[in-house]
Amino acid sequence: MRRVAVIGVGATKFGKHDRTSAELFAEAAGEAIRDADVAPSAIQALYYGNVTGGEGEKQLHMGPLAATLLGIPTIPTTRFENACATSHAAFRHAVMEIAAGVSDVVMVGGAERVLNIPTDAATEYFAYCSDASWEQTVGLTFPGVFALIARAHMDKHGTTEEQMAHVAVKNHRHGALNPKAQFRKEITVDMVLNSAYVADPLKLLDCCPFTDGGAALVLAAEEVARKRPRAVWVLASQAASDTMFMHEKRDLSRVMATERAAAAAYRQAGKTPADVDVVELHDCFTIAEIVATEGLGFFEPGSGGVAAEKGWTSLGGKIPVNPSGGLKAKGHPIGATGAGQIAEIVTQLRGEAGPRQVEGARTGLTHTLGGNTATVLVSLFGRD
Amino acid sequence: MTDRVLTLKRFFEEARAGRLTGIRCGKCGELAIPPKEFCPACQERDWAPVPLAGGGTITSFTVIRVAPRGRGAEAPYAVAVVRLDEGVSLLGRIVDIPFDSLRADLPVRFRPLVTGEQTAIGFGPA
Repeated sequence: MRRVAVIGVGATKFGKHDRTSAELFAEAAGEAIRDADVAPSAIQALYYGNVTGGEGEKQLHMGPLAATLLGIPTIPTTRFENACATSHAAFRHAVMEIAAGVSDVVMVGGAERVLNIPTDAATEYFAYCSDASWEQTVGLTFPGVFALIARAHMDKHGTTEEQMAHVAVKNHRHGALNPKAQFRKEITVDMVLNSAYVADPLKLLDCCPFTDGGAALVLAAEEVARKRPRAVWVLASQAASDTMFMHEKRDLSRVMATERAAAAAYRQAGKTPADVDVVELHDCFTIAEIVATEGLGFFEPGSGGVAAEKGWTSLGGKIPVNPSGGLKAKGHPIGATGAGQIAEIVTQLRGEAGPRQVEGARTGLTHTLGGNTATVLVSLFGRD
Repeated sequence: MTDRVLTLKRFFEEARAGRLTGIRCGKCGELAIPPKEFCPACQERDWAPVPLAGGGTITSFTVIRVAPRGRGAEAPYAVAVVRLDEGVSLLGRIVDIPFDSLRADLPVRFRPLVTGEQTAIGFGPA
């Protein structure tokens, strides 16, 4: 198998846009192509991610649409949907296409547009990522899924609502340093604790926002990437799943797919959690970051809340988590999120992250979770 | 025994009449909620339906205050994962139990929630 590198990254500002998701992707892809310094015609395939375009924009067949907007309408395209892990799943397949020797240069990314529809409609469409028979019928929402996880974590480990609030405060502090973040405003623990309950024990400021945005990456085989000093190598990219049903989760205080994907990724890269300098992980809700920091092996099970409270995951802490602001502050355009996280890690490993730079970062990790914890992707990246 | 031991349609028709049904693996004894083709424990395809009594205890719960479209009038409502006495779990809407008395290990009992053509899983006081 050939080594694969990321040679270009791009993203729109995350937030509200009056453009279609395909237009948002095209902006991000244009930036990635310029960053990679390749001609659009050098791209041999597109792996494209979007979740709710069929519902919110009445748009399917998005792969050729995106390629058409990029001016390369004849390349093969595939659209991915793995709930919120969509474009990270697309990324893994693009890596495999290059590693297998099928293509030398591939574009991967995604886009989402949901702020053009009412919040209750977006909540409904996102809930389609949970099971239609067992979960949608009782009115389970995504905040509800993570509230069940939060309650189980609190009961088992004594995690507190205040510890969860520290995750939101930290990610907003980081997001204030990111010009492309949806929220660039710092918040306080009291603001989080005093915000309204969405699904007890999760409150409004424990939740990531609805977001429009696009993100894109140009991947290349070693032969192409070797000549580029800013290339960042893909050390591992692994996916794992878990039962789709909340009623079959073995332990609601854990995300088993995270633990499986992380173990496989560390094995593939020949790395351990202690080797990781910077992390972008899936903080769709504050409890999700706490559980992920445990599942990825940075902290013992049950101690993720303490780690958040003590600032160990902050810029300047033991293991900086979500320097971009994370899903919480940077925003969560679900089809673009995985590619956006990878773009941030590539930027960090290039040393180009400006005021949010993790000094001397050599090894980075991205973690993206889909839906009711049934899909997780974990990838590792490094510089030569 | 038909080839498809218990379809979702059949499960919810039974549930509508107040009866919960699981499936048990004839090879390893694994108990599961249908539908499933192969046993996740032993990979065998030898299911038989078994009645579930409907009693259980809460594993985790939440009170949902921001509802999806079409459910706004129902909010706030509680949803819980309930471990049934037989050892499998189900997600259900909690009815007739005050929010402030919800806790892990609280005993509850199944009841069908019927709205028009749709049946959903509910749990009320034990």
